[in-house]
Amino acid sequence: MEKEPRRRRLIAAWRSKHAIHLVLAAVAVGFAINAQAAEVIPPKPNRYFNDYAGVVSKEAAYRFNEQLAQFERETSDQVVVAVFPKMQSESDIADYTQRVAQAWGVGQKDRRNGAVLFVFIQDRKMFVQVGYGLEGALPDATAFDITERHIKPLFRAGNYEAGLATGIDLICKAIRGEYKGSGKTVAERQSGGGFSGVLPFIIFIIVLIAISRVFRKLGGYSYSSRGGGPVFVPSGGGWSSGSGGGGGFSGFSGGGGSFGGGGAGSSW
Amino acid sequence: MNKFALGCGVVLAILLFIVVIAALALGGSYNRLVRLQQAVDQSWAQVQNVYQRRADLIPNLVNTVSGAASFEKSTLVEVTNARASVGRVQTQIDPNKAPADAAQLQKFQAAQGELSNALSRLLVVVERYPELKANQNFLSLQAQLEGTENRISVERGNFNSTVQNYNVAVRSFPTNLIAGMLGFAPKPFFTAQPGAERPPPVQFNFGTPAPAPAATAAP
Repeated sequence: MEKEPRRRRLIAAWRSKHAIHLVLAAVAVGFAINAQAAEVIPPKPNRYFNDYAGVVSKEAAYRFNEQLAQFERETSDQVVVAVFPKMQSESDIADYTQRVAQAWGVGQKDRRNGAVLFVFIQDRKMFVQVGYGLEGALPDATAFDITERHIKPLFRAGNYEAGLATGIDLICKAIRGEYKGSGKTVAERQSGGGFSGVLPFIIFIIVLIAISRVFRKLGGYSYSSRGGGPVFVPSGGGWSSGSGGGGGFSGFSGGGGSFGGGGAGSSW
Repeated sequence: MNKFALGCGVVLAILLFIVVIAALALGGSYNRLVRLQQAVDQSWAQVQNVYQRRADLIPNLVNTVSGAASFEKSTLVEVTNARASVGRVQTQIDPNKAPADAAQLQKFQAAQGELSNALSRLLVVVERYPELKANQNFLSLQAQLEGTENRISVERGNFNSTVQNYNVAVRSFPTNLIAGMLGFAPKPFFTAQPGAERPPPVQFNFGTPAPAPAATAAP
């Protein structure tokens, strides 16, 4: 008879242990079912030219990346190319790519001069998303002309490298001259600008020390902790080298530009 | 006598303190509501902008189409009339202030929806004219029209999110207590047109059976 409560406790413990496993399994299945239908916004790229479908050679990818990085140095416009195998969304390509470009923050924040060429290989669709600041230089008609009459024939023939090269050249040609660059990309400015993050802190601490000295002279207040108080080190951002320079390519870092739905696309 | 005066003074000081805090809070809330309302008005102006852009494309489109598809007069006339009615509604709407009540917004949406329907009918009809589909000018115009529709969709989304922020602030406690007093009321959203899931009927002039109408989402 005294074994009963112990057995009951054991059963309850067994049930609770396995209940957790069952719950986790149910959640995992739920996620799996959901994952197929859900929309995926791809993570921010760290290069200008991103070939996620492997349709161009490594040398060409490197060349395009450097070309676009140099374009940003000269004009401050951020042009990104993203080639995906498939579009991970049930929505319209224009709607989806606008949200992706907006999430990536391509283009300088104040000028909003970003442009992104999206290519979805298996869907055979492409779209050029144009930021607010470039809508004058690259209107929908021009974007359509580039995708329909210049890129499409090359893609139809299976020549992705030539098509992308043409697309990049024409986009850059259209928007060159609209804005003037600073000679550095956003990524380069971030990696070199660590020092400017530290300077205000140093000044702040000097001021604190000076104030505490003044208080001591006045007498009465013994806030001695003020002078040698906690000297907090600037966390992370100041010292990090955000150039992403592994392998020697120029890294891309979004400037925070926004997109208004301008641009055009074609399917081949 | 002194103690009484001191007690009185303390009470007064506390009351004054409370009043000052309340005034600051009120001011803070008011400023926040003003800021959110300004964001709503700004995004409304942007919505007007992109709808105007679409309206400006229409004459060019009608000219290009009427050159090649002159038989489709009724469809073209529909488009022109819809644009005219949009222009009329435009004069009744303040482009700098978001509509304060749902009826006003509904009227605006209805007029724009009519134009959208007429345009999509026109584009379906044009499918029967291969020379027009090959016309560079027309293709370019079509791309521009699609672009304006994309922009309209984006700006309406932005408008809805600014209205949401504003409405949440106006309805939240304790801001809602003063919002009514100061003249801040919740604002209406853009919604899908009733019947947007039904495609518009397409009429042809020649008495041939109309092809399956294209499914459209009238914005």
